[in-house]
Amino acid sequence: MKYRAIVIPVVGVIAVLTGFLLFGNLNQNLVYYLTPTEAVDQRADTNPGQRFRLGGLVEDGSVIRTDNEVRFTLTDSGAAVPVVYAGIPEQLFAPGVGAIVEGAWNGNAFYADTMIIKHDEEYRTPEPDTASAAREVSP
Amino acid sequence: MTIRSHGLARQVLPSAALIVMATGLVSALLAPPDRLQGNLQKLMYVHVPAAWLAYAAFLVTLVGSVGWLWRRKQAYDRLAAAAAEVGVFFTGLTLVLGSIWGKPVWGVWWTWDARLVSTALLFFIYIGYLALRRAVPERTDRARRSAVFGILAIAMVPIVHFSVLWWRTLHQPPTVLRPGDPTIDHTMLLVLGINLLGFTLMGLWLLMRRIDMAVDEEALEDATVAQDRELAGAAIEPPHLKGASNSV
Repeated sequence: MKYRAIVIPVVGVIAVLTGFLLFGNLNQNLVYYLTPTEAVDQRADTNPGQRFRLGGLVEDGSVIRTDNEVRFTLTDSGAAVPVVYAGIPEQLFAPGVGAIVEGAWNGNAFYADTMIIKHDEEYRTPEPDTASAAREVSP
Repeated sequence: MTIRSHGLARQVLPSAALIVMATGLVSALLAPPDRLQGNLQKLMYVHVPAAWLAYAAFLVTLVGSVGWLWRRKQAYDRLAAAAAEVGVFFTGLTLVLGSIWGKPVWGVWWTWDARLVSTALLFFIYIGYLALRRAVPERTDRARRSAVFGILAIAMVPIVHFSVLWWRTLHQPPTVLRPGDPTIDHTMLLVLGINLLGFTLMGLWLLMRRIDMAVDEEALEDATVAQDRELAGAAIEPPHLKGASNSV
């Protein structure tokens, strides 16, 4: 029948796509970033200088800004990785926000040269106490 | 088709859409800023409705496609085609607005995360649907083939929607369409709701106007084009390559 010419390719494409969705993740290409726990766990398997994305929360009180770099710690519930970021951080970079940096291990720190801010799905109005606190800090 | 016969909706819909969209715009400007993103978060009031309208339009394409295969009425084909055009436009708008929102907040216009890539795929798949419609001249063939396409392509909509849950992405998971209380300040949620309604009314209006156009196009075609017309390109002959004898 003439439908066979349509049905067979369509079924084939669907099978390939389904297979890709189910098994295509084996080489981790679909993982946009590694968490600090995964990065520490897989450290032994990574080649020196191998670049990957690392994403976590910027730890409170860990941010140290110098002239041309920012040092901070990215954490999740399990591990904490010290990050050295060469460049000017993004506008929303602050302790407590999510950040995804791209770079490689160097010693015990992760040296990164690109940064993306990952915000969460919460949208809230400014809290009154932080607003007043901000007003007190800025003269 | 039913949509064409509703005279009241035809008269009320344009002004209702404009009024609600204007209200939505004003309320978006008056809405409180986000504690982290400040006024940048207000892009949500156009980005999210555009995405919702794209989803909804492709669902209408699905309804039209199933309806055509079931009832074989031309009106269902027009509905599916018109909705696909509306959906492609608003998918493109979603990508552009998301990009404009992403640059100041994330720091990048574009990145290869699952939500962004799947949305781009959705866009191109439905452009493919529109291309298929252009490629088939005969009305019944066109309706049947695009109905099959319109049903298969709907698989992309849940993939786009759940991409943020199935894969680890830069794009945040859903705020409103999630189990439990939406994780958004309720004033913002109200403003978002007004804009969702405004966009929906606008989309319905566009859909109705596009179906009217399709009816007129078909009438024009029936009146002017002979049924046994030749295919485009049929008159072109292959070039004669031997010698220069045929160069007149």
